[in-house]
Amino acid sequence: MSRFLVERDGETRVRLSEGMELTKSRTILAAVGLVVLFLVPDITRFTGLSFTAIHRGILFGLAAVGLNLILRHTELVSFGHAAFFGVGAYGAAVLASYFDVSSGLVLLLGGVVAATTIAVLIGYFVAGYLDIYFALLTLAFNQVLYAFVLQSSYFNSSDGLSVRPDGLNPPTLFGFQWTTSGYDLILYYFTIVVLVVSLLVMWKLVNSPFGRALDAIGQNRTRARFVGIPVEKYVWIAFVISGIYGGLAGGLFALLQLHVSPDPTLYAFVSGEILFMAILGGFGTLVGPVVGGIVLVYLLIQAPFYVEYYNALTGLLLIAVVLFLPEGILGSVPKIGAELARRRRDPGMLREDVATIGTSLRRAATRAATTVRIIVFGVN
Amino acid sequence: MLEHVLNGLYYGSILFMIASGMTIIFGVLGILNLAHGELYALGAFCAFTVVGFFAGQVASPTGPVTAVLFGLVVLAGSLAAAAVLLPVGGALEATFIRPIYDRNEVYQLLLTYGLLLVLTDVMKVVWGPSPIDVGVYSGINAIPTTELVGVSYPSYNVLVILIGVAVFAWLVWFFDRTKTGRIVRATAIDREMSTAIGVSTDRMFTLVFAIGAFFAGFGGAMVSIGPSPASLGMGLDWLVLSFVVIVIGGLGSLKGAFVGALLVGVSSRVVTPYYPELELAVPFLLMVLVLLIKPEGIYGTWGEIQ
Repeated sequence: MSRFLVERDGETRVRLSEGMELTKSRTILAAVGLVVLFLVPDITRFTGLSFTAIHRGILFGLAAVGLNLILRHTELVSFGHAAFFGVGAYGAAVLASYFDVSSGLVLLLGGVVAATTIAVLIGYFVAGYLDIYFALLTLAFNQVLYAFVLQSSYFNSSDGLSVRPDGLNPPTLFGFQWTTSGYDLILYYFTIVVLVVSLLVMWKLVNSPFGRALDAIGQNRTRARFVGIPVEKYVWIAFVISGIYGGLAGGLFALLQLHVSPDPTLYAFVSGEILFMAILGGFGTLVGPVVGGIVLVYLLIQAPFYVEYYNALTGLLLIAVVLFLPEGILGSVPKIGAELARRRRDPGMLREDVATIGTSLRRAATRAATTVRIIVFGVN
Repeated sequence: MLEHVLNGLYYGSILFMIASGMTIIFGVLGILNLAHGELYALGAFCAFTVVGFFAGQVASPTGPVTAVLFGLVVLAGSLAAAAVLLPVGGALEATFIRPIYDRNEVYQLLLTYGLLLVLTDVMKVVWGPSPIDVGVYSGINAIPTTELVGVSYPSYNVLVILIGVAVFAWLVWFFDRTKTGRIVRATAIDREMSTAIGVSTDRMFTLVFAIGAFFAGFGGAMVSIGPSPASLGMGLDWLVLSFVVIVIGGLGSLKGAFVGALLVGVSSRVVTPYYPELELAVPFLLMVLVLLIKPEGIYGTWGEIQ
């Protein structure tokens, strides 16, 4: 075996570093995904897809990856992740508007530092709470921040701040003042690099002893405490890490939009959307939230141009995902693949499928009839 | 000051009607219904159609007697508008919510968020995208209740406060004194045991969801016949606020929802004139405060309606 190929569980795996190995099919998938991401600017030019929408989708997806750390491993539902996204964006915007910082990377760093500070603060208060209380407490902190920004003249209320240090040009990236299209392109590739690095770091993290401890906390807090895991402290740390991801995404969002206002970055429903991206893409997977982010943001931004009732379209998609693909888009791929392979081996199963569909349709009809009866004649 | 408190009570009463629906749905079904705000908006839109029709049957008020008659007709109209929500709520529960009771709560949130989006567009199809106004507010204010006491205050607001108290009283009576109410509570506490003694939990859940939708719709109707028009996005802020209310009061507690709603209503209306910059933040600061001091809320019990 060479340096990059190892034998494990009877399979040849591609080794990225110590402890990080991919199966062959996953390596191919990851490579294809990377290539597609790098080709997005060209693909969008030829197909008429919106480049900005995909870029924004990736950023929200990055925030969803952060959220997924606590959703998947500690099983806490955070309804306030827009707080970090928004603070990250505002951190960059404040540096650009009030301190004339022109370097994009410094702006991003400012956003991340601001988001981290907020995450440390909020995390301190919420780390001990569970279930719906955790969700609602994070929501409350999110809304307090939103209300504060919306009514503060320093943050220019609902109009928001511009991220143009000299009032005209976008920030410099890597020391250069780019043209508009060049800026978008460079920022996009920078985003991809940040995304890949963040995903690798997250992978390393969840497979470390710390990640295992978070899993233990998610499964049973009491037992985790008994085996000596400092539960609240670990939840707090995980919360801060997921906040850093949100801040990173928010800072990049500020650099992309060049203008930050409260509604698209800080409002409670942005938090909801970030959460739904993780579920939509598949919160049991590492990359799922990114896929969910791209799909949901694309739908929310682009659908209004094509259909009048775009809300219903998105809503029906979400309902369909909950009812038929509970693992999310990416999470369902292995299952669907396995089922298809079984069908190919055994064509007789197709007849069973038809029978299953018939039965469920009949059941649905019966249920609808019962419902109508209840509505017309009352209960009991 | 008195006026601010009365404004707060008015605001709190509307909030209570929405939050009560949400709290009984959460208390019995265990579902945090994100589509609740849209059910409220649906009630407001229905009020436009139904109350507009009813109010057209009687003339605009000229004297005290006709004013009271007018008020009663409008009230009956908004009850009828909210009644539209009963079948809507029942159908939604049976079709979409029923398959996901035993699923992870994130799926419940995602599904009800999907319903929220779909309902928004349904209203857009039926009533169009622009805000609409029933326009009977001044007519109801012709009822001279508050002038008799010597304080000048819109009669409509007083009416809504009274209705809020009446809704609370009815709900307490329903869950405490009626057979159906007790069966619902039994179902909420132990689903398996109530199935064993012959209660159809499916029907109970449909009923509870329909009642919850009814009160959301009634709150919407009350707002819509008031000074503010019915618009598509009206449900969102109230949805978030009713979360705050039921958390402050304690999840699943009716009494808590009532106290929480009045607390949020009065505090935000009293604070706002003096510190306008706190207007949006007050309910959330209140919620953070309550959660940090008493995490289960003021009257918190876990899941049982009291």
